[in-house]
Amino acid sequence: MLLFIGFIGVAQTASVADSARSVDMDEVVVTATRSERLLGNTAVPVTLIRQQTIRQSGSLRLHDILGEQTGLFITQGFGRGVQMQGLSPDYTLILLDGEPLIGRMGGVLDLTRLTVGNIRKIEIVKGPSSSLYGSEALAGVINIITDGSGQRKFQADARYGRFNTADLSVDGSTRFGRLRLTGFLNYNSTQGYSLLPNSIQKTVEPYWRLTGQQSIAYDLSERTRFRASFRQHHEDIVNSIVVQNLGSQLLSKGRELNNDYNITPSLSHRFSDAVRTTLRGYASEFSSRQLLDVAGESNSYNDRFRQRFIRIEDQTDISLGASLSLNVGGGYILETVRSNRYDSLETERRNTIGYAFLQQEWRATEKLVFTGGVRYDRNATYASVWSPKLAVQFRPTASLRINASVGRGFKAPDFRQLYLNFTNIAAGSYSVFGSLVAAEEIRRLQADGQIDQVLPAFGLLKDLKPETSTGINLGLQYDLRPGWQAKVNLFRNDIENLILTDIIAYKRNGGQIFSYLNVSEAFTQGLEAELAARPAEKLSVSGGYQFLITADKSVLAEIRAGRVYKREASTGISSQLDRAGYAGLPGRSMHMANLKLFYGSEADRWSANLRMIWRSRWGTSDLDGNGLINRDDEFARGYLQVNLAGSFRVNRMLHVMAGIDNLFNYSDPYNLPGQPGINPFLRLSLSNPGSNSKSLSIK
Amino acid sequence: MKINIIRILSFSVLLSVLVSCEKNDEGQGTQVVTTKTVRDLPADTILGINTTTGQPYGAGKYTFYSLENNVIVASADSATSKWDIGFRGTTIITNSGNSGPGQGGGFVFTGLFDDLKTIPADSTFRTDNAPSSYAIPSGSNRGWYVYNGPVNLVTAIPGRVLVIRTASGKFAKVEIINYYKGGVTPATTDSDDIKLRRQRFFTFRFTFQPNGAKAF
Repeated sequence: MLLFIGFIGVAQTASVADSARSVDMDEVVVTATRSERLLGNTAVPVTLIRQQTIRQSGSLRLHDILGEQTGLFITQGFGRGVQMQGLSPDYTLILLDGEPLIGRMGGVLDLTRLTVGNIRKIEIVKGPSSSLYGSEALAGVINIITDGSGQRKFQADARYGRFNTADLSVDGSTRFGRLRLTGFLNYNSTQGYSLLPNSIQKTVEPYWRLTGQQSIAYDLSERTRFRASFRQHHEDIVNSIVVQNLGSQLLSKGRELNNDYNITPSLSHRFSDAVRTTLRGYASEFSSRQLLDVAGESNSYNDRFRQRFIRIEDQTDISLGASLSLNVGGGYILETVRSNRYDSLETERRNTIGYAFLQQEWRATEKLVFTGGVRYDRNATYASVWSPKLAVQFRPTASLRINASVGRGFKAPDFRQLYLNFTNIAAGSYSVFGSLVAAEEIRRLQADGQIDQVLPAFGLLKDLKPETSTGINLGLQYDLRPGWQAKVNLFRNDIENLILTDIIAYKRNGGQIFSYLNVSEAFTQGLEAELAARPAEKLSVSGGYQFLITADKSVLAEIRAGRVYKREASTGISSQLDRAGYAGLPGRSMHMANLKLFYGSEADRWSANLRMIWRSRWGTSDLDGNGLINRDDEFARGYLQVNLAGSFRVNRMLHVMAGIDNLFNYSDPYNLPGQPGINPFLRLSLSNPGSNSKSLSIK
Repeated sequence: MKINIIRILSFSVLLSVLVSCEKNDEGQGTQVVTTKTVRDLPADTILGINTTTGQPYGAGKYTFYSLENNVIVASADSATSKWDIGFRGTTIITNSGNSGPGQGGGFVFTGLFDDLKTIPADSTFRTDNAPSSYAIPSGSNRGWYVYNGPVNLVTAIPGRVLVIRTASGKFAKVEIINYYKGGVTPATTDSDDIKLRRQRFFTFRFTFQPNGAKAF
């Protein structure tokens, strides 16, 4: 297969990279192929969000801007996660400057941990990308690229909004000959809010966060560059919690402290115009501590979690003539976790992964380009995985591009799924055991005479496999004229070995024991369409739409066999559920759309924008006992959110921005706790003349 | 005071259990069978919350029901063959095994109530062996209901029919419709207090075949 898989010339991308300060630089993307490519030359669906768009939208945290993109759905629960092509947040890899972020809770990497203050651009690649990135890149990859250009600049921003939400950022960079330095600091805090009247617990509790990021780059020679970046994040959340204890309510104080640190040194060297290698190291630690002091109780709850991720990797890019190029790489990962949720803090759970990948790009003709790649991940604690991918781009005319890609993605079982040891005494005395510890725990309970019945599912415990998916994307892109573009993409993801919690045994007291099993197969499929237009010089309009269908395949088989039932709320009578009545996986909207208008120009002192995001109803919880979403009252209501923002350039240094998020004050306390209703804000920005004025105007 | 209200409520409801005939069917047996609906049958309604275990509790008594006569049977007759099934919280007993002296038994059939015209010949009727096993299995998702922990609600699983052998050895089919007062499950967002006060009131429909045949 690799014989006919080939490549685009590096010469072309090298020339783009050299013109680092030109506007074109912003059109170069790196995430889709792990090498620099023009946005239009990628054969897989890529969305690029520029710094300018982020600033104009007045976004604070990463989920603010991601939630305005076509086909991305921001989930709530374990913070904010992103659902891509109908797949849960667990299946999207989040990279910061190309390195994976760690610290997922319940599978979700909380996007509120990420400020957008120093982001230069965000690249979103849809479809499986495990052939390049390994685990988690099953639905796609979001790569947050911060500004390390070394351009001399200084910028300070202060934003203030409802609920005493404050955000302060300082960002600076400079260069001294071969040395480039950047520094960034962000402070973010809120007093929180309550959406339910007379509730002691707030819907969003008060918190403050501090993020620092620094980078240093030094050109050792014309061909060799050393870079290192550092990031620190601290989060402090204060909770007022009502603990239900023996039927009485106890007011208690909780506190959650989260820290993460990342260090990324790298050394890149160009042996020749055709061969370049980059050696990267990456070390990251995430630690979380949850404290709970219940009034009148001496034993306070103290939950600790610490995850470390250390990786060394090399990638070499080789150009073999004008039509063939190669990216080859490999690395080693050491991951450890300590938590009293798993065992004790003294026990360190660890996994090591060795991996290698190869990608070739072959430009068969001017109009036809093939990209193929494969990656092998050898894991110490679960099955090893092959992840291939093949993509084709065909350009019949200069303005029409046809893209097709098929690939395999995987997500490794996480530490929670392998080692969790949790028993909830309050709510029905249920237990959840990780797949590697469940057998031992059940034997222990059996010896105590606590087990009533062990189910056949218990026998499936041994070999937890990574969740895998095959994804197909078929896209068409048409450029009518500058500023006018239409894009359509059809996608289908077939997920196998989906890991779900399932009951493996019952305790004598009726309590259920759950563990993690590869029990399910599911699919997501749909259509994504985007239109961009510039009806007037100063006005850009864009619209996006996603249609999505999802289903659990085993449920479909049961429905076909006529073994699935529903119950009408009004009559109480059971009847058979047909295919049309099954709404698929919960938490998915069948329709999502957005419409954005940006008005202004570089010459104007004024600019304004209006962004509308709509989503149709989505399933929340089963109410008729069949475990499925099928009845109208099992959905959260669909809604429209309208955001407005405008900015005014006072002088060369000072900018004022005002905006109203959620203009129509939509809220849904139960299904959208993170949506506080109408939220006006004001932002002041100070920047040194000449450096940043560009980013404040409309492109 | 709250407890008293619940107690009064539960007694008044006990007296006002409504039974209605819904339809007449020409059974496959020789006799006409009728499907009856029983509403708000209290089943050891909540009296309070145990301060050491944190679990809600009732009086601990079963409510016994005769499918044959379509009446509630007094607690004093628990050791007789006057009743066919008993309800206490989510636990449903049959007049069999160590639950009662009758010839009862049962099993859970997956399918629609109306579609169950004849009890399959190869069916195995289970008997009670309290507290470890019951003819109608107890526990969430094992028998007739599912308990959703996060929202604290019990829901009858649709498409489940309790096939009952009565104390006298005849057959009946029962569909549990709802577990809450008035036959309406509280909203997921209702308080735990409401969910506790309204639970353990069964609404169910049943068909009893008096001629001893396994067809309805």
